[in-house]
Amino acid sequence: MADQHTQEAITAVWRHESVRLVAALTRMTRDLDLAEDLAQDALVAALEQWADGGVPSNPGAWLMAVAKRRAIDQFRRNDTLRRRTSELAHGLEITGEGAEMPEIDYIEDDVLRLAFLSCHPALPPESRGALTLRLVGGLTTQEIARAYLVKDATMGQRISRAKRLLAESGATLETPVGAERRARLGDVMAVVYLIFNEGYAASSGPKWTRPELCLEAMRLARILSGLAPDDPEVHGLQALLEIQGSRLSARRDAEGRPVLLEDQDRRRWDQLLIRRGLTALAEAERIGRAGRPVGSYVLQASIAACHARARRPEDTDWAEIARLYDVLAAAAPGPVVEVNRAVAHGRAHGPDAGLAVLAAVADHPALAGSHLSLAVRGDLLERAGRRAEAAKAFGKAATLTNNDDERALLLRRAEESR
Amino acid sequence: MRYMVFVKMAPDAGDAPPALFEAMDAEMGQAFADGSMIAAGGLGGGEQIVELRLADGAITTTDGPYAEAKELVGGFSIVEARSQEEAVEGARRVLELHQQHWPGWNGAVEIRPIWGPDN
Repeated sequence: MADQHTQEAITAVWRHESVRLVAALTRMTRDLDLAEDLAQDALVAALEQWADGGVPSNPGAWLMAVAKRRAIDQFRRNDTLRRRTSELAHGLEITGEGAEMPEIDYIEDDVLRLAFLSCHPALPPESRGALTLRLVGGLTTQEIARAYLVKDATMGQRISRAKRLLAESGATLETPVGAERRARLGDVMAVVYLIFNEGYAASSGPKWTRPELCLEAMRLARILSGLAPDDPEVHGLQALLEIQGSRLSARRDAEGRPVLLEDQDRRRWDQLLIRRGLTALAEAERIGRAGRPVGSYVLQASIAACHARARRPEDTDWAEIARLYDVLAAAAPGPVVEVNRAVAHGRAHGPDAGLAVLAAVADHPALAGSHLSLAVRGDLLERAGRRAEAAKAFGKAATLTNNDDERALLLRRAEESR
Repeated sequence: MRYMVFVKMAPDAGDAPPALFEAMDAEMGQAFADGSMIAAGGLGGGEQIVELRLADGAITTTDGPYAEAKELVGGFSIVEARSQEEAVEGARRVLELHQQHWPGWNGAVEIRPIWGPDN
């Protein structure tokens, strides 16, 4: 059996190769479970053989050759699947030991197809994230369980159930085209964004952020940019995540409590990620100018970029942010966008402008019982010098939040306004 | 964890063969595409190097080339790896490409974790 060092090396090779290996095997076998089993078998063979002979110079091709050979064995043994053997053999083009991957041209499509499958509409959103991390991100079930703070067995069950649901729903591996492709790409982007947000402001657990989920989401967004490079929104999503990700270590203090954007120590923003985000945004805008429609990810990334470009909070181009929120509100209307638009207009054009935007959505049912619009209202009233009303709004907001840190902050502001 | 990777070689190693350029392009393209590599670059050497040194209370400036240096950093990359082993595997591949496409080349790849707020 492999020693510790070889095992670690093999795990690292696995990370590099497993996604493309499973993707190609899924295309050949049309069976996700079988593809994963074959890939796992190949890994077990690697553990046995590489321990003595060392890691071969093209480990991906080695694993693929072994997996293909096992696929053929398996299909030959299995009578009920005999019909598919000729199909399979045709796709496999078996050659000698360590054969190069003949299907290298398909690989990017294969991975994209796995992303579409992982984010299939038949699956509940939670499962989509887990399956995407597993099949496109190459994470183990244990790693995904750790990231979502659930037991290994629970995550294992969630993933098996997702695969069963896919099989039952008759989800096909065909790559959708036209309007359906755009819709499905939108589903994939939504899942990646959800994974990021779960890490950015964790909805459960003791910690406010879970950076590892953000890092995986950024990685997935970069992969997606490579897979669908002609879509501006894909680059917009990447830009948005890289720029928001650049603030990860600045958005909590030494005690782990949240720090709001304007109070963050901007020297702690990750300039490398900001630069990557701005580059991705420029690419999105370039494609957008060529006539491909830009949407909410590009707009949100543009807003994030305005903050990223401001070295000090007072350098923020609020007029541009207000303008972008106007466009966003028209493209993707919603009460939360309106509340953010109110903040931007309040900063750009004075508190009364902000209050006017807020007044128009004050009675929206989605905001009833939420502290968000009241907190913003308090802030705008305070800036307008209407201190008594501000104190009242902050006090009411404080009764509506479930987060202790946030409640303390709101009560402090209510006190200061009095 | 973020790692800085240095490729070190003899100062008089000369120009890499085109086959290595192509192979490295493909390898790095893959690493950029899977999101693990976030920056990379080659470094000028020879007379383009300037070293400023503080010794015994005095600052001196020395221009390259440094004929006496055994090894110089010729290129770097910054990678986001989930483990040290993952970064090591990437480095091993870089050396293997050199072995394959640049016979007689001697050099090293050095991997260093980049300190951040989280480590």
